[in-house]
Amino acid sequence: MAAPMELRCWAGGWGLPSVHPQSLTVMAYAKFSGAPLTVNTISSSWKAPKGDIPVLISEDSVVSQPAKILNFLRKRKYNADYELSAKQGADTLAYIALLEEKLLPALLHTFWIEAENYCSVTKPWFASRIAFPLSLYLPGKMSREALNRILLTKGGPPLYSLTEVEAQVYRDAKECLNLLSKRLGTSQFFFGDTPTTLDAFVFGFLAPVYKVCFPRVQLQEHLKQLPNLCRFCDDILTCYFRLSVSGHSPAGQDTADANLQKLTQLVNKESNLIEKMDDNLRKSPQHPPRKLTTLKLAAGGEETSALDRLSP
Amino acid sequence: ISPLSTAAEPWPENAVLYQQLKDEQILLSDNASSLAVQAFLQMCNLPIQVVCRANAEYMSPSGKLPFIHVGNQVVSELGPIVQFVKAKGHSLSDGLDEVQKAEMKAYMELVNNMLLTAELYLQWCDDVTVEEITHPRYGSPYPWPLNRILSYQKQWEVRRKMKAIGWAGKTLEQVLEDVDQCCQALSQRLGTQPYFFNKQPTELDALVFGHLFTILTTQLITDELSEKVKNYSNLTAFCRRIEQQYFEGHDKDSSTIADRCAKRSLLR
Repeated sequence: MAAPMELRCWAGGWGLPSVHPQSLTVMAYAKFSGAPLTVNTISSSWKAPKGDIPVLISEDSVVSQPAKILNFLRKRKYNADYELSAKQGADTLAYIALLEEKLLPALLHTFWIEAENYCSVTKPWFASRIAFPLSLYLPGKMSREALNRILLTKGGPPLYSLTEVEAQVYRDAKECLNLLSKRLGTSQFFFGDTPTTLDAFVFGFLAPVYKVCFPRVQLQEHLKQLPNLCRFCDDILTCYFRLSVSGHSPAGQDTADANLQKLTQLVNKESNLIEKMDDNLRKSPQHPPRKLTTLKLAAGGEETSALDRLSP
Repeated sequence: ISPLSTAAEPWPENAVLYQQLKDEQILLSDNASSLAVQAFLQMCNLPIQVVCRANAEYMSPSGKLPFIHVGNQVVSELGPIVQFVKAKGHSLSDGLDEVQKAEMKAYMELVNNMLLTAELYLQWCDDVTVEEITHPRYGSPYPWPLNRILSYQKQWEVRRKMKAIGWAGKTLEQVLEDVDQCCQALSQRLGTQPYFFNKQPTELDALVFGHLFTILTTQLITDELSEKVKNYSNLTAFCRRIEQQYFEGHDKDSSTIADRCAKRSLLR
């Protein structure tokens, strides 16, 4: 294939390759479809064209927004939905709409609007990954955009105060999680045994809720009561991102493996040495005194002859 | 309004649905929502009378249309109306299992997310349509300058919402492509069945009918939107079937799809 494509997105943490839902969706889809992507995490956000994250940069085009990026990858023959029937493709679109309408507002709220979460976790994390002085401005802007979006889409009358809107948003999100859990049932992925676009989107939205440690976590607690969704996230993390559930990065895992190998080799060497010593001990004479006298006599004989030779 | 009190009273004979003035004022998206609610109530066999008022939007408890006035309660929008009707003991989706209910909700979100937003975009963000159709219609009951002020205010509000959800940057072609994608998904889900969940209609059928019928029969600047729907023959057949079953003979001045296309009546 042509030069590998570059994905610019937010970095990861808490065991996830990325903390941002849309970035995570694109990364998951790339893993599922086998697209070769080099992932560049953001260290200063003003380099990203148009400010939309995630962004896919191919040799001749720049694509933003997950839906468009996925379309672009599909046109390049990296298609994870190859085996889906037409009806399943339609179901995919419907469930993605459900996620965006019902789950995304609650996700935005947990990350950007809930005051304790925002001040203690989200803002420091994002600010540390953006260059100064943009780090003073950008997290605040993202928070304001999130609030705006929630108020404009969910906040009309008869819900007049922010607390009422929040209550409705979380109710919708919990219902959405219940629906997803019922739809997933006991199967490994949403459409059988191979992951598809829908799995990428669900994973992208659920994993941040599941893994990121916030002070106020009502959505996470609800998610943990749905074990099949938790298992779904863990499965994808372990199979496709080669991260252990406790969250070692791949580099750490490799060094751990290397260390383990060295230790094993060392132990093997030691055990070989011990075996050799054991062999020697067995082969060596069983009655040292007699051997010594014979040796002495021999040695004496040899010594005298040696001494004789040595004396001038 | 506790659920117990709503459940206690049966559906009265004088329930009323309010919408804007049919011939001069109502817009594409509101017409679609209103038709969806009417279809739903017809499917439940609940009698409802449609009354057109110029200030219907301001009478509504949530600012959105349509709303129904039943007994001493006022409920607006399809979602809450479905729940209200369910509390009274009528439901179309009782026969569905859990997975099907999840699917139904997902498809209803798809229609709201794509079709309704596309209709709003076309009405309020496409400059030609705004100038020629929306502004004159929206403010038609009011004298100048109130009509212009109200329609600019509404346009500003809708454009803010579009910007918040990321649709402001879309071009008309992209919006039409989204509509096409949505119709394709609906068409594939419907297949050759009479309704979306085989034999019985549900609120999803009512919602889809409301939107598609309105798109097919509304005359806009161009026919591109209705052409997208017409590409899928099973969707047009679906609309015709529901119209024949639930609307013919009930409402004397609603014309059928064939009549409207033949007359090419303008909603101006």
